[in-house]
Amino acid sequence: MSKGRIIDHPILGRLDEREEVHFTFDENKLIGYEGETIAAALLANGERVLRCHEETGKLRGIYCNIGHCMECRVNVGNQKSVRACLTVIQEGMEVKSGRKLPTPFKKGETQ
Amino acid sequence: MIDVIIVGAGPAGLSAANVCAKNGLKVKVVDEFMKAGGRLLGQLHEEPDGTWWNGIEEAKKLSEDAQELNVAVECGVSVHNIKQEKSYWKVYTTKGDFKTRALLLATGAAETSLPIPGWTLPGVMSIGAAQVMTNVHRVRVGERGVVIGINILSAAITRELQLAGIEVSSMYLPGKNIVTEDAAKPLSTMKSMLKVASLAPSKLIRLGSYFMKYESLQSLAVRFYPKNGMKVWGMPVHLRKAVLEIVGDKKVEGVKVAQVDVNGEPILSTEKFVPADFVCIAGGLYPLVELAAISGCPFQYIAELGGHVPVHNENMKTPIDGLYVAGNITGIESAKVAMKQGAVAGYSISMDLLKTDVNIEDQLQQAINHVKQTRNQATIQFHPDIHSGREKIHASFKNTLRTDI
Amino acid sequence: MDSRNTEVLIIGGGVIGAAIAYYTAKSGMEVTVIDKGDIASGTSSRCDGNILAIDKEPGFDSQMSLESQKLVDQLSKELDLDFEYRAPGSILVCESEDEMIAAESWVERQKKAGLSFKMLDRNDIKQESPYFADDLLGGLECETDSTINPYLFTYSLFHGATKYGAKVMLRCEVEGMSRDSVTGLFKVNTPKGEIIAKKVVNAGGIWAPYIGNMLGLDIPIKPRKGHIIVASRDMPVGMRKVMEFGYLMSKFGKERTVDEETDKYGVALVFEPTESQNFLIGSSRQFVGFDTRVDMDVVNCIARRTIRFYPKIADFIIIRTYSGLRPWTPDHLPIVSPVEEIPNYYIAAGHEGDGISLAAITGKLMTELLQDQINTIIPTDPIRYSRFKNVSTIQT
Ligand SMILES: Cc1cc2nc3c(=O)[nH]c(=O)nc-3n(C[C@H](O)[C@H](O)[C@H](O)COP(=O)(O)OP(=O)(O)OC[C@H]3O[C@@H](n4cnc5c(N)ncnc54)[C@H](O)[C@@H]3O)c2cc1C
Ligand SMILES: Cc1cc2nc3c(=O)[nH]c(=O)nc-3n(C[C@H](O)[C@H](O)[C@H](O)COP(=O)(O)OP(=O)(O)OC[C@H]3O[C@@H](n4cnc5c(N)ncnc54)[C@H](O)[C@@H]3O)c2cc1C
Repeated sequence: MSKGRIIDHPILGRLDEREEVHFTFDENKLIGYEGETIAAALLANGERVLRCHEETGKLRGIYCNIGHCMECRVNVGNQKSVRACLTVIQEGMEVKSGRKLPTPFKKGETQ
Repeated sequence: MIDVIIVGAGPAGLSAANVCAKNGLKVKVVDEFMKAGGRLLGQLHEEPDGTWWNGIEEAKKLSEDAQELNVAVECGVSVHNIKQEKSYWKVYTTKGDFKTRALLLATGAAETSLPIPGWTLPGVMSIGAAQVMTNVHRVRVGERGVVIGINILSAAITRELQLAGIEVSSMYLPGKNIVTEDAAKPLSTMKSMLKVASLAPSKLIRLGSYFMKYESLQSLAVRFYPKNGMKVWGMPVHLRKAVLEIVGDKKVEGVKVAQVDVNGEPILSTEKFVPADFVCIAGGLYPLVELAAISGCPFQYIAELGGHVPVHNENMKTPIDGLYVAGNITGIESAKVAMKQGAVAGYSISMDLLKTDVNIEDQLQQAINHVKQTRNQATIQFHPDIHSGREKIHASFKNTLRTDI
Repeated sequence: MDSRNTEVLIIGGGVIGAAIAYYTAKSGMEVTVIDKGDIASGTSSRCDGNILAIDKEPGFDSQMSLESQKLVDQLSKELDLDFEYRAPGSILVCESEDEMIAAESWVERQKKAGLSFKMLDRNDIKQESPYFADDLLGGLECETDSTINPYLFTYSLFHGATKYGAKVMLRCEVEGMSRDSVTGLFKVNTPKGEIIAKKVVNAGGIWAPYIGNMLGLDIPIKPRKGHIIVASRDMPVGMRKVMEFGYLMSKFGKERTVDEETDKYGVALVFEPTESQNFLIGSSRQFVGFDTRVDMDVVNCIARRTIRFYPKIADFIIIRTYSGLRPWTPDHLPIVSPVEEIPNYYIAAGHEGDGISLAAITGKLMTELLQDQINTIIPTDPIRYSRFKNVSTIQT
């Protein structure tokens, strides 16, 4: 379980062995570890981009990582806008990054 | 009905829970994080005596005590509303609504952001996010990053990143704009860093304690601050360079840095690109007070406490019946102070709910003294004038009682 | 303490104060606006942005709204700062045969008065939004109705006013005032010093009674609370503002057939898609004093009501809720008027749920009143202060 993780730490010691958890992110099959948040497991897998901005389409990742800023919201199964930084991955979980939504009232766009 | 519901399983909330439970009260603690311990979990500092303040261990101790005392600690539960009814509080959570006689808000603090062009790119995160990723989740935030914002928290966490083998190439000021204000000014940053002399055994700080005494020397120090920064733990800290923009296409690729004059105004001809795969923004902390605001509790803006805080007294009581606060929601201080404040709230609640016991009153008084002692000895002080901040808020409690409620 | 002089002092920096400031400054008068908080810190930032004629009685009521709609359309061209103005029309939907019958007579009356109203059938409703409940019978539309962002509108008006020289004093509360019986000038006390004004306009919204009381006036305005849910960006649900016809039923002397809570909280659906693709969903009507705390029971009730009309948006995320206090008057019409017993004292308050709609016309009319014009843009009798002479409803 080395990829992206801090296994040995001079003060905090060695990371415990943990059970693997299988989940998907926008169809990609990924492996995380028991007790990890979606945000941590994705970052460990090299995924910095969590979603795109609904209006501008710009890419976004974690910002505060403790549930305050809502930047990391992803869709999990049928549940919209879940905070990736507070949600623990489960076996078989389907995480989706969401997409750009139409904004028909914005100036310059057609009605 | 539950006797006490505590929102937040950080050092303040858990300490309060344990005191209440010891006094025989039925306690429930809810926290939206997946582990108990709050922001303590990420903390890892070297004390002046060379020992380590290991937040994970501290949190474990508090949690084990709580378990022994039969405190119900429920993680992964968010509180989104509270409402005062005639003789109880109703607490609305993502896992159902609960009734309680007393309600303690120990929701801690949140980070102020410093908006800088490019700050929404994936790979840009708050300094606290990097701390939690590194020490709690043990996931690498990147290979080589830069930190924007020079303050006590960013200094401490940068050190933690280094410990975990993650390279931080430099610390810079944020580019000046209408939001970054003081954080973008070399002199005010210098001044606030000088107040934390005990934290960083560095050249900057040693020089600092000398400069502290003489205002004029401080501006001299800023004027003649070395172009290549001063090294703290082997990493250059730049008081005369600022990040003007974070650059990248789909994620962070680096930052645009320029020298700034003594007022923080960038000297554009000195602009340079510094590569990085992550960027941490450190804007400081403010009390997380939404639930107190929902309750209708009066507030006071006190800069020394980090912003708007719910009015409360030394017993951690608000002017609203049955509503208590403890920890960073009352002002930004270290976890040790938060713990002691939690104990005060615990005794205070016990005294109010149990009424009869005189003994508790003595313990409450002692606990209040412990808060003061801990504050006086704190190695980490977020705001230099914390004492005057505390006095102001306690005074405003008295005024509130005098005028209405 | 310093003292300053002004020709016109407007107390209140809400949408009403903003519109008056804009039109008076534009007409060349020297004005100062004072607010105890920030711009739009009162009701004008805790509301919807509908500019409606659809729910107005034909006659003075709807004339006032239509004139205001025209002015807002002009303002959208004349002010520098954009305020998300759109004029897509609005619709009312019916859930029962009774409502359809009442709706038809409403449309007939409006059409007779020359307004562009039209009935909608089941199919039209389906076309309007695929998210509507299948059992809705139809509804009606008013083509001219428009929408804006209320705080941007308020800001934009102030921005315009200051360009014409208006001064704005913020975080400065009017604490008392007196009128010099010799000079006729008003002395207004604030923490930042005294202000001497020739004319005073009380545009204090729900606080207007307190301000009036400083000179012994009894202004019958009471706060009527309303809640709003902000639902997160999602797929477009519809292009126009939607309301349920049900809440107009009382105008026909008929009872609404809704459950006890919906009735108790005065909940009726108002659905407003905003430019940023969030949705403002309201609303409730309650007399509960000055308490602006959000009541989750009311919010839940609004959510249930919404899902009754839009069952398919039950999974939309709520990102925020808020509540505001409408400045209610006993006859639901505002007070835009001089005060006979105090020369040079004016009131512009009490617009209840229509302050955004009526701000522009109020500003225009007040400017005319301040200049003692005889031919005003709309008749002034129905909104005179003196109509309440013998009604005392002031709350303590
Ligand atoms: C990102 C960050 C990093 C910090 N790093 C340091 C550091 O390195 N050194 C240091 O001395 N101090 C640090 N602090 C300051 C820290 O706030 C205090 O040290 C201490 O942890 C405060 O304790 P507390 O119990 O008041 O709050 P916290 O420890 O913050 O605990 C509050 C808890 O409440 C929970 N909570 C909040 N709102 C809700 C809600 N609505 N529903 C459910 N649960 C909720 C949170 O999830 C959290 O677990 C940091 C603060 C932050 C925000
Ligand atoms: C939920 C809800 C939805 C609504 N939706 C709509 C809608 O869609 N369309 C519509 O047309 N209307 C709507 N309204 C109504 C509309 O919001 C109000 O009629 C309007 O905002 C009132 O504006 P105002 O300027 O009179 O009051 P305010 O905006 O409250 O302004 C009064 C100002 O006076 C200041 N003040 C008070 N006392 C003093 C003092 N002593 N000294 C200095 N300053 C003082 C206050 O700080 C305040 O800023 C809605 C209202 C609510 C609550």
